[in-house]
Formats: sequence, C-alpha cells, structure tokens
Amino acid sequence: MFNIFDNLIMGFHVATSWENILFCFIGVLIGTLIGVLPGIGPTTGIAILIPVTFGMNATTAIITMAGVYYGAMYGGSTTSILINLPGESASVMTMLDGYQMAKKGRAGPALGMAALASFIAGTFAVIMLTLIAPPLASFAVSFGPPEYFALTFMGLTLVSALGGDNPLKAYISAVLGLLVACVGIDAISGVARFTYDNMNLLDGVGFIGMAIGLFAVSEILVNIEEPIKQVFSDAKLGFLSLFPNLQDWKDSFGALWRGSLLGFFIGTLPGSGATLCSFIAYGVEKKVSKHPEKFGTGVIEGVAAPEGANNAAAGGAMVPMLTLGIPSGGATAVMLGALMIHGLRPGPMLFSTNPEFVWGLIASMYIGNVFLVILNMPLIGIWVKLLKVPYKVLMPLILTIAATGIFATDNNIFDMWIMFFFGLVGYVMQKLGFPAAPMVLALVLGRLVEMSLRQSLTISHGSISIFFTRPISGVLMIIALVSLFFPLLRILWIRFRAARTA
Amino acid sequence: MKKAEMITGVVLLVLSGFAIQEAWRMPSSATFGPGAGFLPFWLGVLLAVLATILFVSAWRSQATEKDSEPVFPGKQALFAITSVLVGLAGYILLIEVLGYLVDTFLFIVFLMKTVEREKWPLTLMVAVSTTAVLFITFQFLLRIKLPSNIFGF
Repeated sequence: MFNIFDNLIMGFHVATSWENILFCFIGVLIGTLIGVLPGIGPTTGIAILIPVTFGMNATTAIITMAGVYYGAMYGGSTTSILINLPGESASVMTMLDGYQMAKKGRAGPALGMAALASFIAGTFAVIMLTLIAPPLASFAVSFGPPEYFALTFMGLTLVSALGGDNPLKAYISAVLGLLVACVGIDAISGVARFTYDNMNLLDGVGFIGMAIGLFAVSEILVNIEEPIKQVFSDAKLGFLSLFPNLQDWKDSFGALWRGSLLGFFIGTLPGSGATLCSFIAYGVEKKVSKHPEKFGTGVIEGVAAPEGANNAAAGGAMVPMLTLGIPSGGATAVMLGALMIHGLRPGPMLFSTNPEFVWGLIASMYIGNVFLVILNMPLIGIWVKLLKVPYKVLMPLILTIAATGIFATDNNIFDMWIMFFFGLVGYVMQKLGFPAAPMVLALVLGRLVEMSLRQSLTISHGSISIFFTRPISGVLMIIALVSLFFPLLRILWIRFRAARTA
Repeated sequence: MKKAEMITGVVLLVLSGFAIQEAWRMPSSATFGPGAGFLPFWLGVLLAVLATILFVSAWRSQATEKDSEPVFPGKQALFAITSVLVGLAGYILLIEVLGYLVDTFLFIVFLMKTVEREKWPLTLMVAVSTTAVLFITFQFLLRIKLPSNIFGF
C-alpha cells in the first residue's frame, strides 16, 4: 500500500515536469477537439499523432496520446447534447437524453453534468488503476510462453466476439492481421517470409502506416462518400448555467457510481471499449430506475451514466495495456504499437523496468482530468464555435498531416504506400462490414502470438495440451474458446428453443 | 450485401490458398520445434475455413430488401473517392521530384478543387496555410528533413 503511495509520488514528480505538463495539456486539448469534431475519432487522432510524438521521450509521448484518448471522451458529449450528433461513437448514448434536455432548454446542466460525470468517473478510474495495476502486474510476472499465448489468443477472440455485430467477419479481420504480422524476417529462424526481395518488407509491414491507413485514410474516404451534415446550435451558455442543481445531483448520484464501476470493470476486458460500456451503463440505469419510461425524454441520469461509463472505461482500458501488454481495443492497440516503436516492451515487467514511465503516465491522468474539466466547463462556448469549421477544410488537413507524419517517422516513401494500400483496404472493409480493430490488434500482438506459440510447442515437444494443463493458461484458453464459439452456441440455443416450442 | 459477401469469400479463399502455398515452401519445423512456415500455414487453413463459412452462409441466406441496395456508392461519390486516391498516389509519387512544399500545396489545391469543388480564394488560403504550418512544424520544430526538389526547396 505504502509502496503504491511512494510510486505515485514519484509519478507526480515525472508528470509535473514542465514538458510533461505542457504535453499533457496539449494532448487533452487535441482530444477535446477530436471529440467535438464529428468525422475524426480518437483512434485516428492517436494514429496520426504517433509520428509527431516520435522525437519526444517515451513517457511524454504516451502522456500526450493517453490525453487524446480520454480527452476525446469529454469532448464527444458536447456535440451529442447540442446538435444530436455524436462526436465519436462512445457518446452515442449521451445523445438520447442529452439532446432532449437541450431541447427543453436545459443544455447547460446537461453539458455540465457530462463534464463533471466524466471528471468524477475518470478520476475514479485512475484511482482504481493505481490500486489494481501493480498487484496484477506482479501476478503476471510469472507468466511463461503458454500463458502469454493463451492471453493474446483470448485478447484476439474477445475483441472479435465483442467488438461488432458480426463475429465471423471480425475473426477474418484478425486472421488477416496475423498474416500481415508474419511478413518480414522470422524472429526465431531468420527466414524471410512474404518479402519478395523487397528490402522495405524485411522489417515487417510498418505499423504506423497500417494504422493510419486503416483508421485515418479510410475514415476520410467514408466521410467523403457520406458528407457530414452540419447543424449549428444557438443555445446560450453562461458559465453559471452549466452547473447542475441539487435535484440533478440527487437524481444522478446512483447513475454516477454505477456508471463508474461498470465502465471501469467492463473497460478492463479486452474488446469491450468505451462504446460498449456506455451502452451497458445506460441500459442498467434504465433497468434500475423507478421511472424507466422517462428515459429518452431528457432525464439527467441518462447523461450521467453513459458519460461516466465511457470515461471510466478509458481508464480501465489502461489496465490490461500496462500490466499485460494486451490492448483492449483499437485506440489502445495503436498506443501499444507506439510504445513498442519507442523501444519499450509492454507487459508485466514494465512496472519494474520502467516505473517512472508507468507511474508518470498514471499521475498525468490525474492532472489531465483536472485540465479537462477546466477546458470543458468555462470554455465550452469556444468548442461550440469550432463546430463551424467545415469538413472540407479538415479533410485536406488530416490527410496531409497523416502523410507527412508517416514520411517523418522513417524518411521512407514506402511507408506512405503502406498507408495508401491500407487506406483502400480499410475503406473496402468498412463498406463490407469488417471491423478494423481486430486487424490492428493482431498486427500489434502478432510477434508475441507467434513467439509464445512456437516456444510453448517447443517446450511441450509439439503437444497442444500444454495450454490446457497449466492452470492460468487453461482458464484463459477456456474463456477464449467460449467466446470463440459463443456466436455458434447462441444460434444452436435459439434453434433448440424453437424446436421445443414447435 | 449477399453478392458482395460471396465475392469476398472467394477472394479470401484465393488469398488463403496463396498463404498456404507460400508457407508450404518455408521450413515447417526447426531443430527444436515449429519453424517459420508453421503459423502462416495454419493461418492460411483457418482463413480458408472462415472464408468458406462466409461464402456458404451468404449463399444460403435469403436475399433481403437491403441486398438490393448497392454496397458501394453512386457515381458522384465514387468519383470523389477515386480522386482522393489518385491524388494521394500522385502526391506520394511526386514528393521527391517536386519537393515537399510544392507537392503538398498542389495536393491540397487538387483536393479542394476536384473533390470539394471549392472556390479559389478559400482553396488558396487553406493550401497556403496548411502547407506552411506543416512545413514549419516538421522541418523546424521536429527537425525532420522533408524532401526537397532540385532547386532546393
């Protein structure tokens, strides 16, 4: 316990250096911006920031990127409430009651509650992260190759099973990502695979190019096809009108703590993501409410619960990323890829080998949450004005930042072609309903999956029973297999019930 | 969607066949355990299975009303998307010939004029300011040598 406290103080020493404070602020500022602007999500934002953060040290870089991630959760609520258009997918649920409140002239308290709920839940999540991450990491230190294979395998199946409405397509996306990860020199035997004498491919397919292509470029292509409608709000927002009254607080109290708890714990599961958490939190709130019929007509709990949940989830997502090296979704996968580029080896050892990095990041999240409340409460008027920036100005900007950034990381034109290729692939995938997150996750985890699989099979002389006879990996494998076959089981169950009633 | 999914299934099957064939030629086992070809081979097999499921379930599914809607966009949107892609390819091809400044400026002008059909004043304003901000940020603040043309800019 005292150890955690000491470490946290050390973290604050790292996080309060002028450089880290500045970039934490820049990160949450960009995050708010990305959250407010429809048509650019947090994953895209983080992906195009990787090259820009390249010259910084790893701690400053990840503080900036994490700031973008949880900052976007704050910003997304603004457009949901004011113009009934989610700034990013995690604030879809906020729209239901938030926009209704705005229509009734209560936009101020809705925005205020969204910001304060985000702050409370966000801070709660960081405290939980502080308490849970160290013991989990020290537990995971004993993991051998079979446990790692089981863990990464579980991460991939969960992301695919939970991350969309068509698990089959998600699995295909993950398998394709693993195949892409095979490109390059095999780390164990030194054989060049799928390289066709192309020098640029020996090191594997560039992660930054692929991530930016799949998220940023394909997002641009989709947005060009379906132009974003621009609606403006004429709500007048004085600073004092933003504060919810006592009755609002009474109504939201339950929603706040339930949303925070649900968001954090579901957020730690791989594949869940902030969007799913906000859906669940809203659903639960409606279930336990004394007046469920009023949901959707502008009740403040309907704003507090999903906004709290998506922010707590952003904190929860850091738990598997920092302690196990397993990202929980697209945004954390991109962050994890960035960590590796900065030369850090994500995993349980991170807490002992780079404590100043881990604790600096955690401490910066406390500071960032304070910045965000300040940015989102008094300055809300500025963000609303920003909505008037048309997408046609943004589109060339995003595309050129992305292209320049990719060139800048390696001074290599080939990486730009990778971006181009995966931009096209990402667009086609999106049109056909294949999610991109499992593919990026698979590329990030690919090396670890392959190494741990082959090392395990070497230990066991080729028998796959090694994954099931060791207790931890056995449990993880069972979770993975259940989630893998869950869609199938559900279909069988429905047929079975239909047959019985018929 | 039905037709598109069947085509996707076939394309993925071809891709998996290719992966299996390539993996077959890699050493499948090393001295102490599975070799370089092990994972790609089984991924190819897995992909083949998943692609078959996708194809068969799409083939057997009832065509719904949604299926008559085309998956890909109409002519106008298709033109816009193709322009962005062609523009981006041209941008990448020409960046070392024209230099960063000229190439980026022309790329933004191209995007604003052909894709967005914007008027000249706004086009020039966005192109000049974006190019300038990016050049200053990357070349001077991040100290990255951006490509230059034979005239040195």
